[in-house]
Amino acid sequence: MLGDARKAQEVLQATLREAMLRSANGETPSDPFWLFRDARWRCLETSEHGLQAEEVNLQEYDLSPTAAAQIERLDVNQLAIWISAAPEPQRTALALFYLDEFNHREILSLAELKIAELSRLLANGRRQFQAWLDTTVPQKEAK
Amino acid sequence: MKIVRLSRRQRLLANCAPISEERMNDRAMRAAVFCARGSHEFAHQQSFDRAVATLVRNVPVPPEIEEWFSSENLVPRSKWKWKMAKNPAVLAVAIALAVIAGVFVLQFLEHRHDFPGAEAARKLLMAAASTRSVLLDPVRTDAGALGDLFFMKHQLEHYDVPPEFADFRTLGCRVFDDDEGHRVAQIWVIEKGMQFFLFPAERNAKTGAALSFSGWRHVEQEGWTGVVQERNGVCFMAALHGREKDLTPYVSKTKE
Repeated sequence: MLGDARKAQEVLQATLREAMLRSANGETPSDPFWLFRDARWRCLETSEHGLQAEEVNLQEYDLSPTAAAQIERLDVNQLAIWISAAPEPQRTALALFYLDEFNHREILSLAELKIAELSRLLANGRRQFQAWLDTTVPQKEAK
Repeated sequence: MKIVRLSRRQRLLANCAPISEERMNDRAMRAAVFCARGSHEFAHQQSFDRAVATLVRNVPVPPEIEEWFSSENLVPRSKWKWKMAKNPAVLAVAIALAVIAGVFVLQFLEHRHDFPGAEAARKLLMAAASTRSVLLDPVRTDAGALGDLFFMKHQLEHYDVPPEFADFRTLGCRVFDDDEGHRVAQIWVIEKGMQFFLFPAERNAKTGAALSFSGWRHVEQEGWTGVVQERNGVCFMAALHGREKDLTPYVSKTKE
């Protein structure tokens, strides 16, 4: 979400501190995802400070049969930076989806999206990522 | 592979198809994935998603943070629902467990102050409850003086009344055998209708050595209470119909 390990750690600590305070005061919300909602809003708030990604129209390519091999050659930080540079709410959608801890209904609830929006954000995200992938790790190299 | 025709709703869902099978807990989603499974596009999408998810799982986590979450699922899944408590089977099991636990607690509380010879002392408290004065030989003297009588007449060595109770005037005494053939001396005193018992201390089954304990120990049985002391292989018990506090003043200076 933030593309910065230090900021992410600060957000995590702030979120856990809030959780512990609420728990100590017996104010833990019944919503099982409140911690993730809280973390998400803190991430969004934090990302408003500092450098902002420019809004550009990204190219979109069809998913390649060699995409998996291309992705294998990526550094994990490249992926983190790419996702953190995506505009909201696409960034939240991609982060929650690829975390692979939530089903689609939970992602809809957490990201406050409709199914059509989530579907479009993910589909576009994949195609944009494929375009970026093709320039970063050309398909020929991956093969 | 074949050309697959999906409805608009199914296309929307297929785009959000979860990466792990375990997240596919929605009927509409399962149906959409089932229909989409035959297409190249969907196969590429799944392969793409799995590769990205694998990369995400490789995101390094600082060791201290990893430690916090090492034994926790990221998303808490509630397993227990209070609705389950209303299930008669669950209720029955819970009640049975509570009763069993209660019995164990009671047994523990009853026996936590047990000492060697406690069982014999309880039996003698029951004997005290059923004893009538006519059963005893009338003897009017100080309780402390009866030790000599027990030794000379019945050859009972160390059947001595401790100093705390030695000055009480007696009404009568007797010597009898208990269920296990042990010689027991019983003394009835005027003070609060108390009865004294002198009986052999419990012995180690292998060595035959008397199991000693220090100080005064308390024992209760059916409304009767007693304080017991062991000395020279013989236990002395002062018993009366009442509570522990009725005997406390007599032994308070020496009771542990």
